[in-house]
Amino acid sequence: MKIALFSDIHANLPAFEAFLADLDSRKPDAVYCLGDLIGYNVWPNEVIEKIRVRGIATLAGNHDLKAKYLVTLEHHLNEPGKNHAYHLVKQVNRDYLGTLPAHIRLEFKLNDDEQLNLVLAHGSTRSVDEYVLEDTDEAYLLGMMNEAKADILCVGHSHKPYHRIIKTENGCKHVINIGSVGKPKDGNPDGCYVLLTMTDNTCLFDKDSIKVEFIRVAYNVQCAATAIEESLLPNEFADRLRNAY
Amino acid sequence: MKIALFSDIHANLPALEAFFADVETHKPDAVYCLGDLVGYNIWPNEVIDEIRKRGIPCVTGNYDFGIGRSSDDCGCAYKTDEEKALGKVSIAYTNEIVNDEQRAYLRTLPAHIRLEYQLNNDKLNVLLVHGSPRKVNEYLFEDRDEKSLLRIMEQADADVLCFGHTHQPYHRVLATDDRFYHAINIGSVGKPKDKDPRGGYVLLHINDDSSIKDKDSIQVEFIRFDYDIEKAAKAVEDSPLPNEYADMLRNG
Repeated sequence: MKIALFSDIHANLPAFEAFLADLDSRKPDAVYCLGDLIGYNVWPNEVIEKIRVRGIATLAGNHDLKAKYLVTLEHHLNEPGKNHAYHLVKQVNRDYLGTLPAHIRLEFKLNDDEQLNLVLAHGSTRSVDEYVLEDTDEAYLLGMMNEAKADILCVGHSHKPYHRIIKTENGCKHVINIGSVGKPKDGNPDGCYVLLTMTDNTCLFDKDSIKVEFIRVAYNVQCAATAIEESLLPNEFADRLRNAY
Repeated sequence: MKIALFSDIHANLPALEAFFADVETHKPDAVYCLGDLVGYNIWPNEVIDEIRKRGIPCVTGNYDFGIGRSSDDCGCAYKTDEEKALGKVSIAYTNEIVNDEQRAYLRTLPAHIRLEYQLNNDKLNVLLVHGSPRKVNEYLFEDRDEKSLLRIMEQADADVLCFGHTHQPYHRVLATDDRFYHAINIGSVGKPKDKDPRGGYVLLHINDDSSIKDKDSIQVEFIRFDYDIEKAAKAVEDSPLPNEYADMLRNG
């Protein structure tokens, strides 16, 4: 089965719409969102509403939790600064963000009932805002994955996609950072998401039995950047979209 | 958030279509399927396609597990020789009509999906399975001994356990010294067995104060919906499947 994983949309509606069109054309069997729907741009409600209408299984990201405790009075909406992105979120959507799960775990029993756990988290399984990077210490990472009983760990948060394979005595562990739909930071401004394909031969001893594809989606970056410049948000956010850092 | 949970469609396309129409009116934030997409009616491929098309996360049921592996055993606990004989016809027929691509999908479904909440710095695990966390074809009926049910949930680290398989919906709240467990059977979309022939599913409400300490902080709604039962029953009668399965649909 083909599982689509995406995250870090960050209120970027043009990027999200381009992603949805690309996603639909690839006909995945299941779709999960790893959080950070809001922050950094002006369309948090539109993004949340599209995810809710589709009933997409979604995790809470660190930005999603910021809106939960934020008090928004009339005058806050006229204040420039990065918090403007969170003040824009409607109460009904804050309620939704405040009740999202921290992790989703898929427990497979494929070959001869071999247990294989695919764990989805926003930052790490230890913390919503911990970065799991391509060069995070291997021993530390293995300790975390063993603690979380994760054979395949998929995360977002850093906006820098990679697929790391760690060899262990009991086969391979996979760590996949799925990149960012609406705010890439790897020098490529196109949106990014992952298609993970599991077959009935998928097992931990054959590292190639799990297929990981990174999909890049071009979108109207100019439109998303201009929206920031015309808003009360810092202009620096627009530059970051244009140059993907 | 509002989570829709459905299962046990058993190749009943008219019931599945009516379910989709009904569930849309409730605007759920997420939708999960707890397995048994196939068996007992003529539309296994169509049911699989409709669920895949929507990208709905789905766990494997015992019937899916059997058909996925082209087995002649669906893991069903038939009580009499007559039931066994009827069951054999259904699994042979389903194996004959399910296409390779749909069979491959059934083979790679996960056994469980676990939603790990951390609301109010409290842990709350919602575990979705087909039969029980221990076994895909274990029946957890409403009259299950409380100690046994608690042990199963504790072993699986499940605070809220949602399952199907028996086609008889219920919500049981189990209290221990300082906390509550919820066992929820979500009923069946396409083959109810609780004397009500309408399709059934569940809406689970998780709020920001949902906690294992307050039993009312997790709400469970059982929804029933009408569908074209006659169309589904007639399809059984016009197929090589035993006519008994048509009667079961008409009488729930």
